[in-house]
Amino acid sequence: MKRLLLVLLCFLSFSVYANEPTATTEEATDKEAFSPGEMILHHIGDSHEWHWFSTDNDHFTTYLPVIAFRPGQGVSVFSSRNLAEGKVYEGLKLEHEHLVSEDGSKVYDFSITKNVASLMISAVLLLAVFTAVARGYAKRGSGAPKGIQSFFEPIIVFIRDEVAKKSIGPKYERYMPYLLTVFFFIWFNNLMGLMPGGANLTGNIAVTLTLAVLTLLITLFSSNKNYWHHIFATPGVPKPLLPIMIPVELIGIVVKPFSLMVRLFANITAGHIVTLSFISLIFIFRSLTVSPVTLAFGLFINCLELLVAILQAYIFTLLTAMYIGGAVEEHHDADYQMGGGDGAEPAHAH
Amino acid sequence: MAAPVPQPPRPPDSENTSDRMRAVARYSGIGAQMLATIGLSTWAGYWLDGHFQNKTPWFTLSLMLLGLFAALYNVIRSVTKEQ
Repeated sequence: MKRLLLVLLCFLSFSVYANEPTATTEEATDKEAFSPGEMILHHIGDSHEWHWFSTDNDHFTTYLPVIAFRPGQGVSVFSSRNLAEGKVYEGLKLEHEHLVSEDGSKVYDFSITKNVASLMISAVLLLAVFTAVARGYAKRGSGAPKGIQSFFEPIIVFIRDEVAKKSIGPKYERYMPYLLTVFFFIWFNNLMGLMPGGANLTGNIAVTLTLAVLTLLITLFSSNKNYWHHIFATPGVPKPLLPIMIPVELIGIVVKPFSLMVRLFANITAGHIVTLSFISLIFIFRSLTVSPVTLAFGLFINCLELLVAILQAYIFTLLTAMYIGGAVEEHHDADYQMGGGDGAEPAHAH
Repeated sequence: MAAPVPQPPRPPDSENTSDRMRAVARYSGIGAQMLATIGLSTWAGYWLDGHFQNKTPWFTLSLMLLGLFAALYNVIRSVTKEQ
């Protein structure tokens, strides 16, 4: 079973390439009013109001505040109800969920959008949960954990022992706050995104970009001499090759967080697209008979997403820890495996 | 100084789930990194060609090849590195 899950994980990393065209083909084949592609993209995207569900003649929506800054005109704050269904308010309107001004002048959108609201809720939730856990440790010390603390202790210990200690080495303690934060942030938000009405926060590339940039900055600021020596004077590489190797190494620095960003974004977004596509099939076929099948598949994907939620959090944390570990490690076993160079050969000759 | 002696591979049952998950995450990370390297450098080349309005897409070609090389180099380096 475990092996099956591991194999699934490997494929899930690539599932987005197979799934993204699904939305567009559905879009093309469906000529009726219901357009699954549009519905799916609307669901996975950010919006200025929080739409919960609709009945035949009513929409249940929470209207969130719009905060717009226009140079020269200052800040305007109002409810997004004023912009609903393409209405214009104070010279502003929504164009495909982008806040634009009517006269085409520049607008900086600082609105509390659905994703921002979701981020705030998750921040409050994380603070509430982990201050409770921390209080448990303050009260009981190293005694047996109780309540919510006992649920999170094995996970925290797992991150410490299996992720941080093994990847970073003796200096792991400095990075524990970040690793734990990033793990629980991603996990909680993945799960919140799977809840009915939840926002697709970790499937938003701006959010994953921020996380990846934080990882990049922490890696760069904690890097030591060895790390940069490896980049600008890679051991075992002849001097004339360095002009080629330095760009290659520099690409490597950027690509590592970039792949973190894309992986989290792609996995979570793909999961949402697949689930929604299965549900949409009912409306595409306009038939009740397909619903047991599509609901079964949708449920299966949703359960799989519960697993993906924690796996992606784990992978992000683990790879972050590995990148940090690569930046802080002192001596290099890798040098001996590189086919010899300035340092390695004499050591073997003796 | 003694050269590091290669350790005999441990019996599979001593390898716990966490180590296996770790390996899976690590190698899938290397794969994703390879894809990202090629994709990112090709995109950069494509953008540069559009920006300079080149007749022949030299930037796309050269950056794609550089990306391929960088991806392969990084994969080889990552898998030969003892973790």
